[in-house]
Amino acid sequence: MSIDGIVGFIFIALSVASLYLLVAVGLSIVFGSLKYVNMAHGVLYLLGAYVGLLIASQEQYGGLLSDAGQVGLGWGFVPALILTPIIIMGVGIVMERFIAKPFYERDLLEQLLVTFGILIAAQELVAIVFGRTGTIYPRPAWLTGAVSLPVVGTPPGMSAASTIRVLVVGLTLLLVGAIFAFYKYTDYGLAVRAGTEDSEMAQMLGIRVGRPFLLIFALGAAYAGLAGVLGGSLFNVTTGIGMEIIIPSLVIVIMGGVGSIRGTVIGALLAGFVFAAATELVPSMTRASIYLLAIVVLTLRPSGIFPSAEIGQ
Amino acid sequence: MSTDTISDILDTEAPLLSWETWDQVKHTERFVALAAAVFALSFSYLFGRAPVISGIFRGYHGLAITILIWSIFALGFNLLLGQTGLLSFGHAMFFGTASYAAALFSIHVHADPLAIILVGVLAAVALGALSALILLRLHTVYFSIVALAIAQFLFFLAREPLVEITKGINGLDVARIPVLGLFELDHRYRGVLGMVIVDNLYLFIGVFFVAVVVFITRVRKSPYGLIFKAIRENETRASFVGLNVWRYKFAAFILSAAIVGLAGSLMAVNTQFAGVERLYWQVSGDIVVMAVLGGLGTIAGPIIGTFVFYYFKGIVNGFPMLGDYWLLLLALSFTAVVWVYPDGIWGMVTDFTSALREPEELVADTKQRLRDLAPGGDG
Repeated sequence: MSIDGIVGFIFIALSVASLYLLVAVGLSIVFGSLKYVNMAHGVLYLLGAYVGLLIASQEQYGGLLSDAGQVGLGWGFVPALILTPIIIMGVGIVMERFIAKPFYERDLLEQLLVTFGILIAAQELVAIVFGRTGTIYPRPAWLTGAVSLPVVGTPPGMSAASTIRVLVVGLTLLLVGAIFAFYKYTDYGLAVRAGTEDSEMAQMLGIRVGRPFLLIFALGAAYAGLAGVLGGSLFNVTTGIGMEIIIPSLVIVIMGGVGSIRGTVIGALLAGFVFAAATELVPSMTRASIYLLAIVVLTLRPSGIFPSAEIGQ
Repeated sequence: MSTDTISDILDTEAPLLSWETWDQVKHTERFVALAAAVFALSFSYLFGRAPVISGIFRGYHGLAITILIWSIFALGFNLLLGQTGLLSFGHAMFFGTASYAAALFSIHVHADPLAIILVGVLAAVALGALSALILLRLHTVYFSIVALAIAQFLFFLAREPLVEITKGINGLDVARIPVLGLFELDHRYRGVLGMVIVDNLYLFIGVFFVAVVVFITRVRKSPYGLIFKAIRENETRASFVGLNVWRYKFAAFILSAAIVGLAGSLMAVNTQFAGVERLYWQVSGDIVVMAVLGGLGTIAGPIIGTFVFYYFKGIVNGFPMLGDYWLLLLALSFTAVVWVYPDGIWGMVTDFTSALREPEELVADTKQRLRDLAPGGDG
């Protein structure tokens, strides 16, 4: 394989891994620290894709940044990237207060069932509002083609990496790094971890565990919303994408080890590289590959790569 | 079961026509078998052709067959979730695999309906044994999601790499030959029989339906089946009293797979077709909705749930105005049931009927509830 081929391959793998990671990281932290399994997390991705599309196309045809002459969504993609996570964060806060909170103390299987019902209902609602046919979500013109830097031009090998994939990978690195640092090094993160270990004890020490939990939930929602905007331009957009993204994401969370950010990153990377390798070598196995991977990993290590002691035992 | 005879019941002090007698009779196997047979025999007629009732229902014969088959599916699924407490989100794998196995056998070997059903069930059992080796090491959500992963793997496997065998989205056609060379499934009856059961196909599927109901009642009442319940209530305790939990879970899983496989093969016989969509996650999701909506851990619950689901899908779907919202309404009712009333529709019915027996208590209870709801109340 040429150097172009290798770089292209790596970026395909990393961008697929990034999308899954953005969805899975919120899922994993909420699952790990709040003991709440949230299939309705897929709703946030779904809404992210549609809200992003709405914002981007508004901007394209109306606002100051309109770029009507070009293919794709034009510069409207930028406000979509910024506004969508904020909006979806709001949705996440509502979801935490009214859907998740009443279920924190209840059985995991009931959580799974109720959030599954909500996911199906939300997908139907989106289908009724936006129509059942898939939506065309073209890449913005300024994100097509190869990476080209202002002074240096295209670095060697990078001509195979399309700009959008580089953007997706870069953003994910930044955001997942941020949430990791938040979780590990800030007082809020400490409060979340304390609340995870022993919620009652933490409350007796004067920590209001409710708020950090809400923040974690909202951050996870924002990430899923952003993944929706980005995913819309890499994969296709239909009203079924909520379920389509949540299955592999849950599989990745479980494969990596629930609650472990490190495990989730590794799970997503494995899935991304297996996906890209299958695309390259056995195209017919592309969609099946991630599930095969999960089956193999969980047969060898039933509690995931970085197991969490408490959950699922 | 020696205690399960009518004479034993009549030996008790209770008068023949009383609630106590009814409570004892309604749980006997004979009564359940009889009720299932009466239901299966009259269902198509009541749903599709009876005066007044079927006019309200807008039902039709084909849908009645579909509901019977999916009821078998829901009963098999419920044996695992309602009885043993294992929530599989991947039961489509048994339904679809059995369908394919039945269709392939009918194409390449022999097309007798009984033979292809047997092959379908065996294929589901084999898959059940294999997947149980992976799944039974996992707990709660892990179990559910990995079951879903296995089913999705099989779906994508059947859709692309195995397209030579499965014919991809075009699916396989199943020939219909007479059962044992004697009974033509397409044979339509005339007169009263034609009115009530229409054709041999309905009778054929009805027999399997009754057999599955009887079989599950037997399992539920046997000491063996009670151990499933013990595992659902507290797995650790079950293992501490010396039970080999893995073995019983394995048995429950295999039984469930076999019954679901039966439903899948019957579906191949009914539609004369096997396709890749029977492996899709939506099938697994639908069956979860049916079983939970109807009521877990009972016999009537999954059947009612299946009826409600297909009523929405087959009939409400066609209503003007309301039709577009059928799935939304169904998903919202499902969510509401899990949220506030985990016993499902059948749980509501039994609660209501038992409350009716004590009218004074019901009145007092309702008054208390209204008082609690009133502003300024102490509730």
